[in-house]
Amino acid sequence: MAYHALAAVLLPLLAFVINGFLKGKASGWVSTIAILLSGVLAIIVFNHTFNGGTIHISRLWFTIGDTQLQAGVLLNNLSTILLLLVNLIALPVHIFSMAYMGHDQRYGRYFTCLSLFCFSMLALVVVDNMVLFYAFWELVGFSSYLLIGFWYKKEVAIQANKKAFIMNRIGDVGLLIAILVLYSQYHTFDLIKLFGEGGLISQSYIKDGMWIAPASSIPAVWQYIACVGVFLAVCAKSAQFPLHTWLPDAMEGPTSVSALIHAATMVAAGIFLLGRAFPMFNTSELDVLAIIGCFTAFMAATIALTQNDLKRILAFSTISQLGFMVMAMGINAYASSLFHLVTHAFFKCLLFLVAGVVIHEMQHVKDENHLDIDPQNILYMGGLRKRMPLTFIAAIIGGAALVGLPLTSGYLSKDGILIQAFEWADTKSAVYMTIPIMMIITSLLTAFYIARLIFKVFFGKLRVLDVKPAVLCHISDGGWQYKVPLILLSVCCLFPVFSLNPLLYEHSWVYRAFMSAEHLERMNIYHTIIPVGLNIMVVVVIYYAYAVYVQERKMLPFAQNNWAFDFSYHQWYFNKAYNTLFVKPVLALSGGLFWFDRTIIDGFISLLQNILLWLSKMADVFDRYVIDGFLHLITAIVQYIGNFVRSFQTGRVQYYLLSMLAVIVAWFIFKTLI
Amino acid sequence: MNLLTLLIFIPLLFGLLIAVLPSGWRNSFKYITLLATLVQLGISLQMYFQFKIGAANAGINNEGQFQFVQKLPWISLDLGTMGKMQIDYFVGVDGISITMLVMSALVMVVAAIASWEITKNLKGFFVLFLMLDMAVFGVFCALDFFLFYLFYELMLLPLYFLIGMWGGARREYAAIKFFLYTLFGSVFMLLVMVGLYLSVKDPATGSHTFNIIQMMNPANYDANSIFSVVNHQTIFGFPARTVGFIVLFVAFAIKVPVVPLHTWLPDAHVEAPTPVSIILAGVLLKIGGYGIIRICAGIFPDVAVSGSFVIGLLGVISIIYGALNALAQRDLKRLIAYSSVSHMGFVLLGIASLTAEGISGAVMQMVSHGFLSSMLFFLVGVIYTRVHDRDIYNFRGLGTMMPQFTVFVMIGFFASLGLPGFSAFIAEAFTLAGAFKSTSINGLLPHWMAACGALGILLSACYFLWTLQRMFFGTERLKGGEQWKHALKDLNWREKSALVPLALMALLLGVMPSLVFGKINDSVLALVSFLQHK
Repeated sequence: MAYHALAAVLLPLLAFVINGFLKGKASGWVSTIAILLSGVLAIIVFNHTFNGGTIHISRLWFTIGDTQLQAGVLLNNLSTILLLLVNLIALPVHIFSMAYMGHDQRYGRYFTCLSLFCFSMLALVVVDNMVLFYAFWELVGFSSYLLIGFWYKKEVAIQANKKAFIMNRIGDVGLLIAILVLYSQYHTFDLIKLFGEGGLISQSYIKDGMWIAPASSIPAVWQYIACVGVFLAVCAKSAQFPLHTWLPDAMEGPTSVSALIHAATMVAAGIFLLGRAFPMFNTSELDVLAIIGCFTAFMAATIALTQNDLKRILAFSTISQLGFMVMAMGINAYASSLFHLVTHAFFKCLLFLVAGVVIHEMQHVKDENHLDIDPQNILYMGGLRKRMPLTFIAAIIGGAALVGLPLTSGYLSKDGILIQAFEWADTKSAVYMTIPIMMIITSLLTAFYIARLIFKVFFGKLRVLDVKPAVLCHISDGGWQYKVPLILLSVCCLFPVFSLNPLLYEHSWVYRAFMSAEHLERMNIYHTIIPVGLNIMVVVVIYYAYAVYVQERKMLPFAQNNWAFDFSYHQWYFNKAYNTLFVKPVLALSGGLFWFDRTIIDGFISLLQNILLWLSKMADVFDRYVIDGFLHLITAIVQYIGNFVRSFQTGRVQYYLLSMLAVIVAWFIFKTLI
Repeated sequence: MNLLTLLIFIPLLFGLLIAVLPSGWRNSFKYITLLATLVQLGISLQMYFQFKIGAANAGINNEGQFQFVQKLPWISLDLGTMGKMQIDYFVGVDGISITMLVMSALVMVVAAIASWEITKNLKGFFVLFLMLDMAVFGVFCALDFFLFYLFYELMLLPLYFLIGMWGGARREYAAIKFFLYTLFGSVFMLLVMVGLYLSVKDPATGSHTFNIIQMMNPANYDANSIFSVVNHQTIFGFPARTVGFIVLFVAFAIKVPVVPLHTWLPDAHVEAPTPVSIILAGVLLKIGGYGIIRICAGIFPDVAVSGSFVIGLLGVISIIYGALNALAQRDLKRLIAYSSVSHMGFVLLGIASLTAEGISGAVMQMVSHGFLSSMLFFLVGVIYTRVHDRDIYNFRGLGTMMPQFTVFVMIGFFASLGLPGFSAFIAEAFTLAGAFKSTSINGLLPHWMAACGALGILLSACYFLWTLQRMFFGTERLKGGEQWKHALKDLNWREKSALVPLALMALLLGVMPSLVFGKINDSVLALVSFLQHK
């Protein structure tokens, strides 16, 4: 089975390589067939291994020092279900993309990148050690970078992909540090040895400020740092506060990419990591997870209320739902969190594909009539339910699942989380009750913003006509490549796929796969009161939204120009704050250091150089005037004497006689005097 | 004929050939040079495949375990009562040098291909090029300190002229700066070398020796000599062995380069012609790292252990400082030069950890950086030869005009910033792992150093991605307008033939790191245990 899984992972890689050399329209089929085959293999693997224990094979990859690094495949319930999930989501998205990207000049490049992403994502879920996990963790980020910036001439797109990669890098560094801590503590990268049942993590404990493992012990602070590292990684990939700001911007990529990567699969990798590394968190760290998740869910939902960009609303909705999952991990609702991951993948992918169809049709209207409108702005849409009925039904199903209305998959997974949140808060002090209450509020906000979206897009009248009344509108559901994925995903958003009982989440097979039997009893009143109460409130909220947006009654609780609206509309000003607090100071620091480099260090070097030059000049002066001067003096003296003596050499004998006489006379005088 | 000797002197033979050929044949010089480097690559690959692994072939401090050894008496002087002065031609390789040889050989081929752009005074250029080539290989193979020093100094001369004569506008300034910096390092090295010679006696002959491997054995030191292990001598009040280590370390640190001894590098790179930049970044910087491992840590292991905190700190400073400086650049070549400073910081950090992971990671980083920096400098050269400009803000949207070029730039950038699948990821991850593990293994480096080093990974993503965004994406806009647009043609076959092997090597080593780790592991383990027992 492990080899089937390996083949399922490698098929998209093969498609990536083939597409690298291919030109033209064939690449769409290459990628789609690869993902189809991979999906078939994933189903086989799933049938054989789900609930069937752990399968692990590995081979020696390389040896470094005395550490042997194994590379292998690890299949357990978590990886098997994600292997299947990614394939099930990727297939409709591939089919959708063939039509959606059909007219793009770089069609082949698109599918090359998409296959690279599928390979990285599939590999991420099945690898068996931390080094490979990190490798594919970054590779999914890289392929997402390529796809966000797919339209690389768009300035916003390339700003967005840079931002996405760098923010993800912050998480990567966190993960890397966590891996290093674990490696230095346990001397292994193996996921099973670390996190498996009775593994090294479960054998270690914190005592007297030390973190004691079977083989070594280091200060306890490193346990917290490792957890913070993992948590940073989760925040970056799964767009949790404080690293969430890249995801809304990432919507600049093609919508099909947003559906696959930035809604269903890659962003869920953070939750997957939490699932893998769950044993390393202790209670207080889990509490922090719960608080962050809850805050993120609430914050993103408030932002989604006021956005006008179709995809941005969905992006904030994704952040909010991921917050639910992180919170669920934090309250120890491990199974519910993963269950919600699975159901969310389907309904959010569905909603994005709906958005894709709508945007495609609006773009069409825009191009046909040469309008100057943003095809993603919901303010120009409206009344589309009659023109694109299938898309409308898909949107209703997706929206219902997101809100968590009964008979949908979202109901099963989300109510499970909420119920367990209340149960969890019961065991803690009263302050913790704010978390489930916040989650209830967030659920209501969710109902409102998705209702607003659907009503604005599909009800009322087409508002493009307000811009230019004589617009030609050829709007339809589109071809089979649009319809088939929508139908497939819509079916997967309904309860029978997950549980035969539409109302009880405990009966869902996904939930049971991650939960031991004793947790399945319905212990208290929450199990009844929360689903009933919440659904009644949700219906009220949806009706309220209907009244506001379809019947256009003036019932808005907030004006569009007060501070609360601005605060929500500007996404709580996170982007501005990060720019002022981090980006600008780092750039200033780098500029300052460069100045230091040029002025101080190079200045010191040139000072040395100048001193050297000055010394050599001094030496030159000394050489020229002192040493040479002395030599010149001597030669001058010699010359003078020579010249003086020469004047006697006249060639006249009389003078010579005279001078001889003078010398003799002088000598006698000298002699007589002394 | 010994393969290693052949490998070292092949370039010299071809260089002599070029020197005697008439200038009328100048168009053939580049082919002759390329042939020389290809022959060298072939020989080095043959050696790589013949290289025997296993603990019995670890090398390091065991003369018998070196491979492809050739030892010939070279200079022999009878000094009467002072004994006999003996200098050997002594070359050999172990795991650490064999990887350097193969890497350098490939980089040399690429540099030879990049030399096509040279147009003036071809004879001089290629003769100097081949002379530099020989000196580089000599340094990696020499096991006699005198021979090592000779090759080490021999590199300086061709480089000075290559930068000073074929460089850019401020080439003389850059050349003299480079020359003085490196000379400053090596002059003091000479003194230490003489001191070591006078301290060490070959147990077999009883006379003083320059043999590096004998210098690693503390038993060979005279008890009263200056670098004696037993009697702690002092120089100017400082322990003599510490002074010796520092002097050698400074000499190699200038080469690496380590902040704050790095400022020659950006200037030299900016002014040097592309092939010289490639050799400079690809090979010469590694001589610094190699020297620190083989000479500094090998001969003064005691000081290497006690000084590892400072070395690690310098490494971390280089990583962060280099990366931040790279972020501030507008000249593409200068940016890559500073990124080299940052990436070579990992080498220092890995060595300082004195763990098997750290040192293996450091060697891997040297090999990886050899390929990647060559690739990056080659890519800069591609733009520069076309429009003679490198300012990041003068270009925009190159992705549309030069799609293949952009693909290679993306490969180079992402591989350099440590994208998994490429060699730099493995290298940086394991240097950091070694640095991190050091605390619990030998207690030399604190944990925070590795954590700060990891910040460098984040910063490298910032400057590379920002550059991509500014230069290659977006709508087309060039400072030079239509004229530039006309000049900026996509890669030709020659350029691709240089870039493809580099990209493939980076990918290959990222996927199969055992190609390097398999060869070096025994040597690294031997080195680590050698250092532990000091």
